[in-house]
Amino acid sequence: MAARVTMPEGRFMLAFPMLLFFGAFFVAPLLLLVAVSFFDDPDITVPGLSQYTGFLSDAFNWRVLGQTLLLGVKVVACTTLLAYPIALLFLAAGPRLRRVLLMLILVPLLTSVVVRTFAWIVLLSREGVVNSLLLSLGIVGAPVQLLHTELGLIIALMQIELPLMLLPLVSVMARLDPNVVAASQALGAGSWRTLVRVILPLSLPGYAAGVLLVFASSTAAFVSQSVIGGGRLIYMPLFVYQQATTLYNWPFAAAISVILVLAISLVAFGINHLGRSARGNIHG
Amino acid sequence: MTDRIGRRAALATGGLAAAAVLSPRKAAASSTVVAAHYPNTWETAYRDVVAPVLQQRHQIELVITPLLAFDQVARALAQPRGRPPFDCFCLDPGPRRTAIERGLVQQIDRAKLPNLQGVSPGYVDEWGVGVAMQVVGIAYNPSRVEKPTGWRDLFEPKYHRRVAITGFGSTFGTVAMIEIAKAFGGSETNMEPAFEAVRRLLPNVGAVALNSAQLPSLFQQGQIDIFYTNTNNVAALKAQGVNIEFVQPDTGCPAFATTMHIHARSTVANEAHQYINVSLDPAIQAALQEPPPMFIPTQTRTPLAPEVAALVGSHDALSRFIQHDWGVINPQRSAWIERFNREVRA
Amino acid sequence: MADGARRGLDLDLWSYRILLGLLGMLALVIMVGPVLIVLAISFTADSSMRFPPSGFSLRWYEALFDPVRSSQIHRAAINTVQVGLWATAIGTLLALLAALALARARGVAARSADTLFVTPLMLPQISFAVAALVFFSMIGFEAAKPAIVIGHVVVCVPLVYKTISASLSQLDPALIESSASLGASRLRTFRRITLPIILPGIGAGAFLLFMASKDNVAVSLFLSDARTNMLPIRMWQMLEGTLDVRVAAVSGVLILATLVLMLAMERFVRISDRLR
Repeated sequence: MAARVTMPEGRFMLAFPMLLFFGAFFVAPLLLLVAVSFFDDPDITVPGLSQYTGFLSDAFNWRVLGQTLLLGVKVVACTTLLAYPIALLFLAAGPRLRRVLLMLILVPLLTSVVVRTFAWIVLLSREGVVNSLLLSLGIVGAPVQLLHTELGLIIALMQIELPLMLLPLVSVMARLDPNVVAASQALGAGSWRTLVRVILPLSLPGYAAGVLLVFASSTAAFVSQSVIGGGRLIYMPLFVYQQATTLYNWPFAAAISVILVLAISLVAFGINHLGRSARGNIHG
Repeated sequence: MTDRIGRRAALATGGLAAAAVLSPRKAAASSTVVAAHYPNTWETAYRDVVAPVLQQRHQIELVITPLLAFDQVARALAQPRGRPPFDCFCLDPGPRRTAIERGLVQQIDRAKLPNLQGVSPGYVDEWGVGVAMQVVGIAYNPSRVEKPTGWRDLFEPKYHRRVAITGFGSTFGTVAMIEIAKAFGGSETNMEPAFEAVRRLLPNVGAVALNSAQLPSLFQQGQIDIFYTNTNNVAALKAQGVNIEFVQPDTGCPAFATTMHIHARSTVANEAHQYINVSLDPAIQAALQEPPPMFIPTQTRTPLAPEVAALVGSHDALSRFIQHDWGVINPQRSAWIERFNREVRA
Repeated sequence: MADGARRGLDLDLWSYRILLGLLGMLALVIMVGPVLIVLAISFTADSSMRFPPSGFSLRWYEALFDPVRSSQIHRAAINTVQVGLWATAIGTLLALLAALALARARGVAARSADTLFVTPLMLPQISFAVAALVFFSMIGFEAAKPAIVIGHVVVCVPLVYKTISASLSQLDPALIESSASLGASRLRTFRRITLPIILPGIGAGAFLLFMASKDNVAVSLFLSDARTNMLPIRMWQMLEGTLDVRVAAVSGVLILATLVLMLAMERFVRISDRLR
């Protein structure tokens, strides 16, 4: 570990404005949320645990929670599968192609998430672009149901999440020594073997960062989940919204929020831990 | 669409603002009323038609905040103290009842609403005034599916994969589900037959929308060809060139009033009354019934436009449309929403 | 035998190239496709969002720029830009100070603060939005626009904090030490040495923060009031109700504006090197 750099005490004072800001406008509201969740009635007068016991004693709610986390995992898996080829192309590319690739990665950010989500309605509907393409190529005989299915939702989410996965991955690739790859291949290792044994382990730190972002963002992607997922796919953020705005049950909305936050934090902590130990392995 | 708006504005201004134009007073607004309205059609219509007249006649600036009825109540509940989020609500029966029960609205002063003259007494109570009627029925695409006759048709094999349903998250979703329950032998207190029908349909449903707002876009994209909705949505889609027709189910159409209310803590109650009064003006109501948005007037001094008359017959006939008891419905809604979530879950 | 090995190698190489090539193509199509389609639809002659459009016209851009018919969109756009600029200014300043304070600090307190500052990225925004709404109404904070700015700063500031921290971590401490040993004041060292080196990081982070604020739905949904309609919410309502084609035109404008901003950033701070 690097020697501790001695810093003048005064420098820490610079963090104070941000700490104050976070204390007042991030930590305090969240603590309030936790406090509200420990009330039994919508008017927030009777303290109690009934929101939690109510939520946790119902198998349906557990399934919604599980489904939400599972959605995150599936989106992570799919973005991994699609992001690595781009990252590998980036690794093999010269400076000019690298620049082009980076710009392509940033293209989704050019327009609003809301608009991109609705674009998928045009793309995925029965008479949409995807179905017309599949029909005219003769791949399917009748239109495939894509809107309001988990597959459709995952596709739509990938558009939003791919840049989040690719940016950290590409930044790792940019720092990776091309000689390592060349050496592996010179030693007779095939492309697949080089990928699995050399490139994947070296890219793990960036990958772990990407996984964390994609997981957190896709489990919370309220707009896409409701617009593309429709009424039959129910995820936790929708639950929160429904309880708060249609049923006016703030304590229950708060309790669901707290449970969702805890679940995501737990998974994030796990991923972080894995990422760190992977990093440890590479250097050790 | 521009022509329509121009025509409507002309109707409104010509009818009652002539005097104001001829004797111009100070142009600047002396006060502001913040009114919540349903997004899109309602918001646009009130901004185009009502706001200019309110400005001219009373020097009141109308600021419209677009929120669905349930969201209006949620927002008001979330701000139990201090300045209210808006001065006027625009609600349908379910949320209206909640707003009254939770003490969110103040009583209206009939003396300040001279235009109540001509409004059917059934649309007025001490808490608010009906400014338009919503009529719920079935909409379909005539070039793609046969004309349906009633609620039971939605579940017939000939409409398989073409029908969209939506649950209890909106008022017209709720009344439609009640009518479906009735069509299969249920009632306002027995929703079981509706859930039963939905369960049978699920494998062949075109879409289950999360809320009623999602339906028009699914229809436009050809994902579905038949769904339940109100006449305003059908008029709005027609204006966009969408091939859509409205059908009155054989068991009759449910109808309910869209009501305006004044927030309990509004500091501009007088001005809010003036806003509601202008909304009830026969000329304004006449302007607002032009399609789109084709709002059905509650003001009987407004003769029905041909399009509206073709739909509902007469003011008198309108009062005989199906009504529901929201005192019975509201306590059950939360359980219905939860049940619907569970039933339709993929 | 050598032949066999060679064939094996070919198979390895070609399966690798074909599979990764196909997946990579798919990734590019998914990323770029919807943006291109929205752009194409914005020039449609049809009155509804259909692809492919039946003809070319600028009618939706005309409708969008009509000051009367689209006044609400204009107001929402102005609000969004205002909020975005305020959030960017406040967030960047806070993050810069905090990053300077915590760079290379190893103490438990410093590490915890560091973790705290990136936590909003991990939390579902809707949970924070609900919390913020209840919180602001409870303390009687009624100004919607400042509330939205604060909310946006909280959920977006991790982006700029991370980029600035990353730039600082690449700064050679020897540089600062030598500057200090040459008798330069701390402020002078910062201005002459640290700032020029981390400036691109600050720029890239500020850009990201502005983009995220401009795009925020959850916080704006819960905190906006009658006078602070925000663009993404307005577009959502327009799309959900009627698939209003003007939204595609808004996207066209957004794409152009963002592209210009991005190219400017690329020129001045080489943003493509800074986005981690």
